[in-house]
Amino acid sequence: MNLNMNSMESLVAQIQGLSGSIADVNQLHSLLKQSEDLFHSELARLAPLLTELDPSIHSLGYLYILEACTSAPISKEQANELVLSVARFINLCAAEQIRLAPDKFISVCKRFKDQVMLLEDPMRGVAPMLTALRKLQLSSEHLTTLHPDFLLLCLLGKCYKTGLSILEDDIFEVDQPRDFFLYCYYGGMICIGQKKFSKALELLHNVVTAPMSILNSIAVEAYKKYILVSLIHLGQFSISFPKYTSSVAQRNLKNFSQPYLDLVNSYGTGKISELETCVLANNEKFEFDKNLGLVKQVVSSMYKRNIQRLTQTYLTLSLQDIANTVQLHSAKEAEMHVLQMIQDGEIYATINQKDGMVRFLEDPEQYKSCEMIERIDSSIQRIMMLSRKLTDMDELLSCDPLYLAKAGRERQRFDFDDFDTVPSKFTI
Amino acid sequence: MASSSSSGLTFKLHPLVIVNISDHYTRIKSQSQPPPTSSAANDAVSSPPPPRVFGCVIGIQRGRTVEIFNSFELLYDVSTHSLDRAFLEKKQELYKKVFPHFYVLGWYSTGSDAQESDMQIHKALMDINESPVYLLLNPSINHAQKDLPVTIYESELHVIDGIPQLIFVRSSYTIETVEAERISVDHVAHLKPSDGGSAATQLAAHLTGIHSAIKMLNSRIRVLHHYLLAVQKGDLPCENSLLRQVSSLLRRLPTIESDKFQDDFLMEYNDTLLITYLAMFTNCSSTMNELVDKFNTAYDRHSRRGGRAAFI
Repeated sequence: MNLNMNSMESLVAQIQGLSGSIADVNQLHSLLKQSEDLFHSELARLAPLLTELDPSIHSLGYLYILEACTSAPISKEQANELVLSVARFINLCAAEQIRLAPDKFISVCKRFKDQVMLLEDPMRGVAPMLTALRKLQLSSEHLTTLHPDFLLLCLLGKCYKTGLSILEDDIFEVDQPRDFFLYCYYGGMICIGQKKFSKALELLHNVVTAPMSILNSIAVEAYKKYILVSLIHLGQFSISFPKYTSSVAQRNLKNFSQPYLDLVNSYGTGKISELETCVLANNEKFEFDKNLGLVKQVVSSMYKRNIQRLTQTYLTLSLQDIANTVQLHSAKEAEMHVLQMIQDGEIYATINQKDGMVRFLEDPEQYKSCEMIERIDSSIQRIMMLSRKLTDMDELLSCDPLYLAKAGRERQRFDFDDFDTVPSKFTI
Repeated sequence: MASSSSSGLTFKLHPLVIVNISDHYTRIKSQSQPPPTSSAANDAVSSPPPPRVFGCVIGIQRGRTVEIFNSFELLYDVSTHSLDRAFLEKKQELYKKVFPHFYVLGWYSTGSDAQESDMQIHKALMDINESPVYLLLNPSINHAQKDLPVTIYESELHVIDGIPQLIFVRSSYTIETVEAERISVDHVAHLKPSDGGSAATQLAAHLTGIHSAIKMLNSRIRVLHHYLLAVQKGDLPCENSLLRQVSSLLRRLPTIESDKFQDDFLMEYNDTLLITYLAMFTNCSSTMNELVDKFNTAYDRHSRRGGRAAFI
């Protein structure tokens, strides 16, 4: 007992001593790795030790002790304390030190998230998780395991705007595929909540087309939402998959989403009545998938589609005519719809209230202004960077032995211009 | 050695001669590359002086105009410090058959300045042509220099220290081109952009030309601006004729302050940017397509079998 106590004290002293320079911290890290068992055996005494350490300077040591503390089952009373202390640690810790032990940090944060959910107050966890995420990331293009947890907390706590800030970053590096699937799925849901349908479409598209060797349920659920968002945003849905979709997804996803595909078909007819009958028929299934809200939005988007189609035929139209064509109940409703669409920028029109006529206009953007130049210029810069990354990835993949093996096998036996022996098998 | 000539002859030089001489020099220089030295001590020693090449220039002399059309190479005999006479005469005969009107007008060499030993060669040629010309090409590349590094020297009898001596005097010359020469020189000039950039496309060359023209215009106008400022301050005397010329020049410059110009300019600028954007998009899509194909071949277990399509 005493021996253990002494070694704990010495360890604490070492943590305090060796948290100065990078070389010291590395040494400390190896020391801590060796003493892990010690931590786990001395759980009871760990809590007071934490008070001796400063999380911002001795982050690594603090992390190890904290991780050992949280690994024990926590009672509900202690949960609050724990949440507070972990939040404090996350806010104060030094990023370089915790990056040396990322898995410990991740496990601490995950337990933190569990406790917060247990306390049924997810909003408390949003800000600390954001800080934790930013500290763990190697660059803004790096997707960590904490991203989906953070988004989950945002969803549960209904703080969508904070979640959106994370979603703006482009992702180029992923730690674990599961993280990516969850991140895109939750991200899509957050964007739907904020009515940013184009971004939601993009994220859900990523889930559906991501490479997978076996079908996972995240992709199945995402596909259902993807169909609905596509109907709301684009007004159509193509059932053919792009060629970068994994063959697993191509073959199996449709089997799980039959009611949604029926919805697509009835949407295609353009008649509200048909759409509503379809919705009624599959109501329980939609409700079971918790997609009923989205389905209602699909129905209301049908009106928008029809009004937009009118702009292509007519230059001016009376509100009553609009109501009749689009199967709305009254001219007043038509006016509200058109007004909303003008505000959202989905249509360019003017309403003449005196005689109830709507005049459809052209897009007033002349593409002559300096702001447009800046926008295009920044887009060109972004696409140049993307192009460079793509070329690098292409080269990397060309050197991949797996690719070379398969490409070699598929070569024709004889090339056209050399009839000498061309190896028909390319083995490495 | 270099005062200007008083003989009153006008010299016309064809670009073919310049190209010939520079080609000769480049060939000899590249063929005589010294082997790379291994010892570090030798690095302090500069590379061996560039070799001098020699040759003959031929052309037509009509009255006071000397027109140099062509040139051929000669071997220089270091031991006798003279050109290979027999070879010269044989070449001369051959050229006479093809170009009956051309005479040997003089000789050429490379270097930065005319040297004393050149006078010997010059005198040796005097029996073919009483007053030969000496064409000197300076092969060192000087980017700041705007003129051609070619000088034409004549020989004149001057009395120095009581002794009549032949010395070289510089003469001015103009470049004269036949249509064929103009086209080929144009072609060669546009083959490689002047700053050695990797843009070998016609568009880039065209734009580079426009860019340098505008840069030149800008610098010249800046000079004028300086002058006008100085006149305004009173540092320089005010010359009305010069001011009139400046004002007429400025009226010829395009007006770019009007609204209509801004409008059209922005629209065209936007169009160009959009086209560039579209081009980048296409480029990116094509790379992406290849990447996806490779990925599918490598990692997708059930990608389409059947190998490549038949060779078209």
